[in-house]
Amino acid sequence: MTSYIEEFNGIEKQKDYYDNLFAQLERANEEHHAFNLINKDAKGGFLLSTKANICVRGFETDAGSKMLKGYVPSFNATAVERIISDKRFAFAGVTGMDEFGFGTFGTNTEVPARNAFDREYAAGGSSSGAAVAAALMKYQVSIAESTGGSIAAPASLNGVVGFTPTYGTVSRYGLIDYANSLDKIGVMARSSDDARIVFDMIRGIDDYDTTCAVEKITLERRKKIFVINGMLEKADSGIRAAFEKLLNKLGSRYEIVHVDSSIMEKAIAPYYIIAMAEASTNLAKYTGYKYGLMSEDFYKQYNEFFTDARESFGIEAKRRILLGTFIRSESVKDKYYTKALVIRRMLIKEMDRMLKEGYILSPTLPIKAPKIADVKKLSPVESYSMDLFTIPPNLGGFPHVSFPYDYVDGMPLGAQLVTGHGNDYAILDFVKEWEEGFEYVYRKNLGEL
Amino acid sequence: MQDKEFDRLLKITRLRVSAEERVQIKSDFEQVIAYFDEISSLEADGEPAYHPVEIPGRLREDKVKPFADSESLKKRAKTSNGYIVGPKL
Repeated sequence: MTSYIEEFNGIEKQKDYYDNLFAQLERANEEHHAFNLINKDAKGGFLLSTKANICVRGFETDAGSKMLKGYVPSFNATAVERIISDKRFAFAGVTGMDEFGFGTFGTNTEVPARNAFDREYAAGGSSSGAAVAAALMKYQVSIAESTGGSIAAPASLNGVVGFTPTYGTVSRYGLIDYANSLDKIGVMARSSDDARIVFDMIRGIDDYDTTCAVEKITLERRKKIFVINGMLEKADSGIRAAFEKLLNKLGSRYEIVHVDSSIMEKAIAPYYIIAMAEASTNLAKYTGYKYGLMSEDFYKQYNEFFTDARESFGIEAKRRILLGTFIRSESVKDKYYTKALVIRRMLIKEMDRMLKEGYILSPTLPIKAPKIADVKKLSPVESYSMDLFTIPPNLGGFPHVSFPYDYVDGMPLGAQLVTGHGNDYAILDFVKEWEEGFEYVYRKNLGEL
Repeated sequence: MQDKEFDRLLKITRLRVSAEERVQIKSDFEQVIAYFDEISSLEADGEPAYHPVEIPGRLREDKVKPFADSESLKKRAKTSNGYIVGPKL
């Protein structure tokens, strides 16, 4: 497999190519709801979309929330600015997501995106639309964002490559924050080469984000693959069986090492404690006045005005604001928040030790794609448990990539590969090697030349 | 969780919930906190990690730069006699 960006730019297009493509895309979008907004003026380049929490000047960026309806940024996020000025790309639109990134399946928003393989199934979240867009169009790349698995999970369910870089390699300037110490901008595409091309364009030190501090990226290949026993045991039997087949295939080139890690197995609780604590402070700024939703009931008293406006948050956002605020209460802060931060350091130390020797490989999700109707029956704790595999690398800021490795009952399965901080090229290189012997399959190929 | 504590959280977060949401969120709240209590089974030793990687704390030069699109900001605000209107204190 090669780069579709290079392939596309090297071929002459018919005059009506974009008109036909956008007509196809609008029809497909009625079915899959990948895009909140399609920019039909995008012509002359390889299409690029952005998740609805990444600011693009002049285009509504609502982070999947009613609270930000009507918010049109007057500036570009650094990642967008760095790519949009390149004439090889054309901005195709804004993709849908769970409200503020709060979700694993893409259903926590008004109009959820639907899986590109079968619209009855969940698209995954929170970068749901970004994954569906990449799975619908060969010549399109999606800029997405992950806090606890929001790139890997939807990439897995829609059969695309979902790459989450090391924390601090891509500037977060212009990203609508969920949890500042966890948020990472990344890429979803149909090939590892395209993910790498875009990653190289958007990464690098930025004066507007002091946490964007990782500049050197390496390609240090590993010969070992670690599999965490206690985590794999928690996956569905169907997932375990398919994953074992993958390990058998890889076994000829890599040494597969099964290990235990109680800290990785128990990473979900510390992750959600940190994520909710940070989210509850970030969401305090939405008051129906400064951004998006604009109340004009200025006759109201201060508290009444803000409380009325904040009714626009969805139930998951309200739940996380309340939980996050509770966790930060003076009486329990050390028990939950401070302890979770200490556990994060311990997790980084343990994973770092393994990642110096090898990669960590797992299924991306512990279950096959669920139907949207079934996702709605999950309790919050059941839903958070689905992030079992995606949380450790996200909590530790480690680069990881989800790539398609099998198709069961017509739906794709993804595996997640993790490496050490700054060794991002190594996992993209691993996937490139995988792509040489495995063909990705899609239901739709809009805009194929 | 006691109603009094739940109401305190609603007040400080400036949130209002319907009767139905109240029952649901309170019940979820207890389950999630019980789940978070699992961290008590982990021995934690060391310094907190506020970020996953070292942040050097680099600052940009303190220099004024013109904002590209200040007109669009003015359009957004509700104004009266050149002042921005806000809610009553």
